[in-house]
Amino acid sequence: MAAKSVSPGGALLRASRMFALPNPIPPPPHDGQAGANFHSETATLAFPTHQVITTLCASRKQGDWGLKRPLPLKSTTKSTNPMLRVKAIDTIEQITDYSSATDHGITLRKFQELNMPLTARRPAGGDHKDNTSTMGLPQKSVFEESLDVTDIHPDKRAEAIDNRWKFTGPWLAGMTQGEFNKWLAREVRPKRPEFREYLKKKIASELHAAAAKEALDKGREQPPVMDPSSVTEDQLLDYLRKLRHDNQALYNMVGQFLDLAPLTPPTVSQTGLPTSKVSQLKFTEMKNPYAERGPPVTHPSAGISYLRSSMYMENHPIYGPQKQHSPVVARIVRPRRQAQAMPAKLGVAGFIVDTPLGDTGSNYRSGSGAIFDRIDPNVEGGAKVWVQPKMASVDSSGRVILRVDDASREATLVAQELLGNAVCLGAKPAEDEMNKRESASDIRQKYRAADTPTLSSARDYGLRGI
Amino acid sequence: MASCRQWISSATRQCRSGLAQQQPRPFSTSAPVAAFRSIFADNNDSSNAPTTSNARRSRSGPRPSSSSNSNEALYGLLTEGVERGGPLSAEEQRQVMEQQGLGARAYVKDLRATATTDNYLRQMPRRWRTGDVYAPRDMSPAEMRKWRQGRRPTKDIVDMLGFNPLDNYKNFSLISEFMTTMGRIKHSTDTGLRPVNQRKMAKAIRRAVGMGLHPSVHRHPEILRLSRHGLPTASIPTPSDPSQNRL
Repeated sequence: MAAKSVSPGGALLRASRMFALPNPIPPPPHDGQAGANFHSETATLAFPTHQVITTLCASRKQGDWGLKRPLPLKSTTKSTNPMLRVKAIDTIEQITDYSSATDHGITLRKFQELNMPLTARRPAGGDHKDNTSTMGLPQKSVFEESLDVTDIHPDKRAEAIDNRWKFTGPWLAGMTQGEFNKWLAREVRPKRPEFREYLKKKIASELHAAAAKEALDKGREQPPVMDPSSVTEDQLLDYLRKLRHDNQALYNMVGQFLDLAPLTPPTVSQTGLPTSKVSQLKFTEMKNPYAERGPPVTHPSAGISYLRSSMYMENHPIYGPQKQHSPVVARIVRPRRQAQAMPAKLGVAGFIVDTPLGDTGSNYRSGSGAIFDRIDPNVEGGAKVWVQPKMASVDSSGRVILRVDDASREATLVAQELLGNAVCLGAKPAEDEMNKRESASDIRQKYRAADTPTLSSARDYGLRGI
Repeated sequence: MASCRQWISSATRQCRSGLAQQQPRPFSTSAPVAAFRSIFADNNDSSNAPTTSNARRSRSGPRPSSSSNSNEALYGLLTEGVERGGPLSAEEQRQVMEQQGLGARAYVKDLRATATTDNYLRQMPRRWRTGDVYAPRDMSPAEMRKWRQGRRPTKDIVDMLGFNPLDNYKNFSLISEFMTTMGRIKHSTDTGLRPVNQRKMAKAIRRAVGMGLHPSVHRHPEILRLSRHGLPTASIPTPSDPSQNRL
């Protein structure tokens, strides 16, 4: 339809790459966190902000990337993977501002090789806010019908609060005191008259519901719908007084009016009030998975994976179905420092990952854990370990949080054999030390090697001078 | 704003809880004064029993607290407890290794590997955060060098946390943050404060120094003591009165 109404030249432009490139999204904000003053402007960002474009091999040789002018061959043809990000199609100096985008492009490809679905955080149950027991349970995909709801009628936003991830209001727990004050002054205070209108509507609907119920009970005909403007100021004032003594109802009203992101109810210590006062407060439990850590900035999958489940079994052509998914190699990006209480950081598929918690190799001091302590320059390409990716999610600032476990030895061996680095099939079974059969020459060798005679003598029994 | 959420949320809660209830401050400004008093009490009169735990520990410590030199006593005050809590010295490490049954050769090998690791780590100053994306270029020396030098803060921390510096002249850990080690007030290019807040902060510093609550030539002794022990020196600024939260 739209293409018909424009001129042929316009249609051509619209179909071109120049118009197809979306505007860049804002980069991850520079937070005031301690140590954040040490940073690099040119480091790879936690998520891409520009569209990555690619071109065919023949076109790349001619510098044709579908842009306004051909790009220089010297810098665009050397890379194996043709991936570019265009910062400006045209500038006043008549150049196209571009740079290589293999960092994010290859990271995406590597992540998709992991076959990880992105999951939403399970709300920790009950009174135990720090309960991590739900982390071990299978997680819900972010694409579940109950979580991925965006097309909601404005009047029904309050009912769908447990299923939403997108809110127009802020997440209060993520604001600093200064930001909160500013938000109150700039956004909330001018809305006072609107809020009173909103409350009047609520009062009218409540009064109407009460009248309708009474009429139904007494067999009279239904009263007409009450007009919000007929609610008097006295009624509003009484309603406000009632609200002030019911913290949850007040929060619901304000939250629905401002469309605030859901919050987990605070613990007693977090409220900072005396226990006798806290016991008067009532809180309803929040079922939204983003109430605890804040809603995400993008769609909770961030578009890096569209898988919905990891509940499948891998099949090996010879060994058959495998209990575990194939493990992957992780780079030890930074060894742990015991003195500074800094754990090791792993790199899996281009993402920085924490080492697994609990009784795992990365937490041992010696033995298999020694590799996490040292940088050994003799190891070519740096130290690497096999890990098993378990779970992936996107946090509220748009970072991909991967969780890994130690890989099982069998799965690692199978994976190594597939790479050709180990021999498992057809190899001689390793002989157990206990059941090893000794040949006569072995025994002879053993006794020959000994310096002292192994046969017992009277002297060995402590009988001297005999 | 979104990425600030996680770390800020705890600070917000503490700030807000501070609004409703005056929490006990982690360090009281009277503690160093009492510590000094205890030193001079030791010098002059032993009947004046010091009540602070600092003084009690320095007495039971190996260092004789009845030294005539007050500088030495101050040094003892600063170094006390290091013997117990600090990281092991090279000699102690060697003893531990010997106890564990490792020979001298294994010990030398271990030391050499640790030194190598430390040398390489010095060339990798980046503190990786979970969820960072890295490409081979991020590991290069040219890129790593950029992480070594700090830049000025781009956000006004006073505006961010919403406190009034003038109310916090007694908060020596806050005051110390905005002073150099030589006791000078930091320039706004270093603090990142906007002019209004920079003036308020400078006034708070001058007030603290003028009242004798904060030294004007070096860091606060309490800060020095805490940094020796590797303890965090930050404390939460007193939130301003909610009735004055007007912009």
